[in-house]
Amino acid sequence: MSATLIGRLLRANAPAVGAFFVVIAFYAVMVVYLFDPSLAESLDAMMAAMPELFAAFGMATAATTLTEFLLNYLQGLILTLLPLVLVIMMVSRTVVRPAERGSLACLLALPTSRVRLAASFAAAIVLLLAALLALSTVAEVACSEALFPGELDVAGLVRANAGLFGLWLFMAGVVFASACAFAPSGAALGVGGGACLAFYLMQMAAGVGEGLDLLGDVTPFALYDAYGLVAGEAAAVAGALALAAAGAALFAAGVAAFARRDLSV
Amino acid sequence: MSVPPAVIEACGLTKDYGRGRGVFDVTFAVARGEAVGFLGANGAGKTVTMRALMGFIRPGAGSVSIEGRRCFSDRARIQETLGYLPGELSLPEDMTAKRYLAFVARMRGADEAQRRRMRALADFFELDVRTRIGRMSKGTKQKVGIVAAFAHAPRVLLLDEPTSGLDLLMQQRFVELVRAEKRRGATILLSSHLLGEVERTCDRALFVRGGRLVSEAPAASLTLEETLAHLYGAGNVGRSWDARVVCASEGVPGDASARVSEDASAPEPDRAARSSSGEGRAS
Repeated sequence: MSATLIGRLLRANAPAVGAFFVVIAFYAVMVVYLFDPSLAESLDAMMAAMPELFAAFGMATAATTLTEFLLNYLQGLILTLLPLVLVIMMVSRTVVRPAERGSLACLLALPTSRVRLAASFAAAIVLLLAALLALSTVAEVACSEALFPGELDVAGLVRANAGLFGLWLFMAGVVFASACAFAPSGAALGVGGGACLAFYLMQMAAGVGEGLDLLGDVTPFALYDAYGLVAGEAAAVAGALALAAAGAALFAAGVAAFARRDLSV
Repeated sequence: MSVPPAVIEACGLTKDYGRGRGVFDVTFAVARGEAVGFLGANGAGKTVTMRALMGFIRPGAGSVSIEGRRCFSDRARIQETLGYLPGELSLPEDMTAKRYLAFVARMRGADEAQRRRMRALADFFELDVRTRIGRMSKGTKQKVGIVAAFAHAPRVLLLDEPTSGLDLLMQQRFVELVRAEKRRGATILLSSHLLGEVERTCDRALFVRGGRLVSEAPAASLTLEETLAHLYGAGNVGRSWDARVVCASEGVPGDASARVSEDASAPEPDRAARSSSGEGRAS
């Protein structure tokens, strides 16, 4: 990896990550603000009225604590879909657009191997995702402690978010590998981004039940169990580690594909 | 007398993209200290050859090597002593020229001598390095590319249409730079569709047409007519713009009846007579 190139990529993508953090922090503040133990009965009634809809967005569990409330209303949608959009943007700016526009030629004209270049792209993306996760966790904890001191299971939330990073790594690995393997920009982002979206939709459908729960056995997103991670369950930890390992393997596959393919720049 | 070893070598280089596009069985060698022009029309295969030499693409058949190293597998080693200027230069628009050149210098591990040379080149081309690349004209961006390609005093230079966008003064400065590099012992392959660019800088010229190397000639003695004949074939020159013919033509490209003499005041063409006499051929 090249520290110089990683530094350049971090600076170039930091504004986009900052913008996504602002949106996530806004949602975190809103969700914490909306937490009210006395509203639990009302929310339970809504859930009973629309069980499929709540289940589709990963909100099937009745949230009686602040930790469960955050997991219910952030992890399932905001902290899954928004990072996916960010990953697609970063991979596009780092790999796909330079190849399309020809600016990749300037990097390939340097005495740096393709493996080192691609590994630098991957490292920059992972570092930016890690920064976003750390900042988002700090925002959740800070809001919770400010509005409901002592209510949040901080260690549990940190475990859940650490597991969430495994999911983010997996999504980033899928999109990165696809971008490195396919030449036209449509396929480069469409295959990886489309696959992640399909996995997410399968997860939503599995949550609805009614015969669709089999989809939960197919989508890798089912390996992320936020509630299990809060409770410290071994299976949940194993699932998160499996997602992280799969993500790392996909990044490695992307680097290998980048090193071997023709680049008509 | 022994043949000097080739620094840049292509041996049966073939890359077929289908429908006649690509390069086919291209073989040439450039000796140390030599400057060779690579002339061809648009789409003739110049850039494909450059990409193969730069290790961007893998040959479908044949081989390309620089200083004895395979271009695709040893690309990173080759780039240590190679300077490249792409035909379609695309630079990071969010950086100033100064930051971009500093980035290139850091990536190359440039020492103080190379950084001084970079600054000297920027002065030579009157480049304001404080300007953001996104706000630069095409010619100014080209200057940034030239500085980046030459700054580390490379032993080998691959230049693809290097004077593209440069004004006349900067074109002359570029010619001076190339001549100075030749005196320093650099080996240069310059790809272009401009005769003047090759004439003023190269020792000899290779002509590529339809992806194949068709001929070779000393650069200094080339004439426009000779070059056109090399590039397009002897039978395909001499077409003139004659609005009357365009309006009256059958509208079929390459139709012999549309090829007329260079006399624009000629009366309405007698198509049958022209076809049989073969008028409109290259002079």
